[in-house]
Amino acid sequence: MKKILLVDDEPWFTEGLAAALEARNYQCVRAADMTGGVKALQEHTIAALVTDIMMPPGSAFKSVESSESGFQFIEYVKEHWPRLPIVCLSVIADQAKIRFLMKRGVRYLRKGETPLSTAVEVITAVAEGRRVRVNT
Amino acid sequence: MNIPPEPEHSSQGVEELQAEIATLKHELEESRKSTTQYLQNVAHQLTAPLNAIKWNIEAIKDEKIPIARKKNLLSSIYSQGTILVHLIKNFSLMSNLEADHELGQFRDQPDHVSPLRLAINLISDFRPQAAETGKKIEVRMYTFDQIFGEDSLLVEKNLIAQALSNLLENAIKYSHTGTTIYVEAITRTENGKVCLGISVINTGLPIQREELEKLQERGFRGNAAKQKIPAGTGIGLYLADKVMRLHHGWVIANAKGSETRMTLLFPPERAVSREAAR
Repeated sequence: MKKILLVDDEPWFTEGLAAALEARNYQCVRAADMTGGVKALQEHTIAALVTDIMMPPGSAFKSVESSESGFQFIEYVKEHWPRLPIVCLSVIADQAKIRFLMKRGVRYLRKGETPLSTAVEVITAVAEGRRVRVNT
Repeated sequence: MNIPPEPEHSSQGVEELQAEIATLKHELEESRKSTTQYLQNVAHQLTAPLNAIKWNIEAIKDEKIPIARKKNLLSSIYSQGTILVHLIKNFSLMSNLEADHELGQFRDQPDHVSPLRLAINLISDFRPQAAETGKKIEVRMYTFDQIFGEDSLLVEKNLIAQALSNLLENAIKYSHTGTTIYVEAITRTENGKVCLGISVINTGLPIQREELEKLQERGFRGNAAKQKIPAGTGIGLYLADKVMRLHHGWVIANAKGSETRMTLLFPPERAVSREAAR
C-alpha cells in the first residue's frame, strides 16, 4: 500500500482528504508541522507529499518563520528527497509565489476552491507517477 | 500701503506643520496596512472552518468511505461549526463592546447563572474540538461546590459564556497533545475583597512574563503562540477582559513553566444566594 504524507497544522481540514485517500487503498501519514513532516519522511517510504504553507516549523526548525514555513519545508524536501512528488495545498493567492512553486515542480491546489474529488485525483495521480490532466 | 514684514517664526511654523502632516500621513499608511493585514487574517479565520466543512461534506457523499469514518467527519463538521459560531460571536461582540455600550444596553439583562452549569454546558460544546487534537477537558465539580455552593452569579449570561469560551478555545489551541484542560472555581482577594472566579488551566506553550501583561491588548499574540498557530485574531482575551470589566471584574493571567491559568474573576457582589435569586 502506497503512503501519502499530509502535513497540515489544521488536522480537521485534511480529515476528509485522508478518509477519501484511505478509501482508495492509500495509507496516510500525518504531521502537523515541518519537524513532524521531516521525521515522517525519514521513517516512512512516501509516494507523495501534500503540504500546507502556513504552519508551525516545530522544534527542529525554530528559526523558521511560521507564516511561510511551507516554502522552507519544500526546499528542504527538494534537497533531501529530490525525486519525491509534492502537492502544495494552501490558501496563498500571491501569483508570484504560486509561479515559484510551479517552477520548482510543485503542484498547487488552492484550499476552498479545489473540490475534494479533484484533489484526490491529482494526489493519487502524482503518487502513481501519472501525468495529471485535471485543470486545477 | 505698507505691507507688514512677514513674522520670522512663520517659515518655522510651516516646516513644523509639514513635518506634522508627514507624520500623520505615515501613521495613516501604517494604520491602513495593519487594517488590511487584520482583515486578511479575519478572512482566513472565517474561511478555514468553512473549507474543512465543504471537504468533509464531499467526503460524506463519497460512497467508498466507510460509515464509521463518516461519523468522524460529522463530528469534525460539528467542531468546525462551533469554531465558526464562536468566531462570529466574537466579532459581533467586539463591535458592540468597542461602541462603549454599558451592560444595560445589551439585549439581555443580567441574569442568575449557575457557574457550574455554565462550565459544563460550554465544555460539552468544546469537547469534540479538543478530542480532534488529542486533548481532554474536565470540570472540577467539587471546587464549584466548595466555592459557589448554591450561589449563582448575577451576570449577562451570553457575554460571560463568550468570555469563558474564549479562555477554553485558547486552552485547546495552545495545550500539548495528550493533556487535560481543567475548569475550576477559585477565590482570590483583590483590594481587600474575597472575589470568586472561574479558572481554565492548561499545560502547553509557556508564556513569557513580559507577554502576560500584554495578553489583554487588542490583537496581541505571544511569540510562541504565533509560531505554533500562525493564523489568529488576538482578540479572545481582549474581549474576555472587556466583558469582565463591564461586570466590574477582571481577567487574571498566570503562567508557570508550561502551565497557564486564565481566570474570570467576579467581585463578591456578583454572587447571589438562591434565596435572593428567588
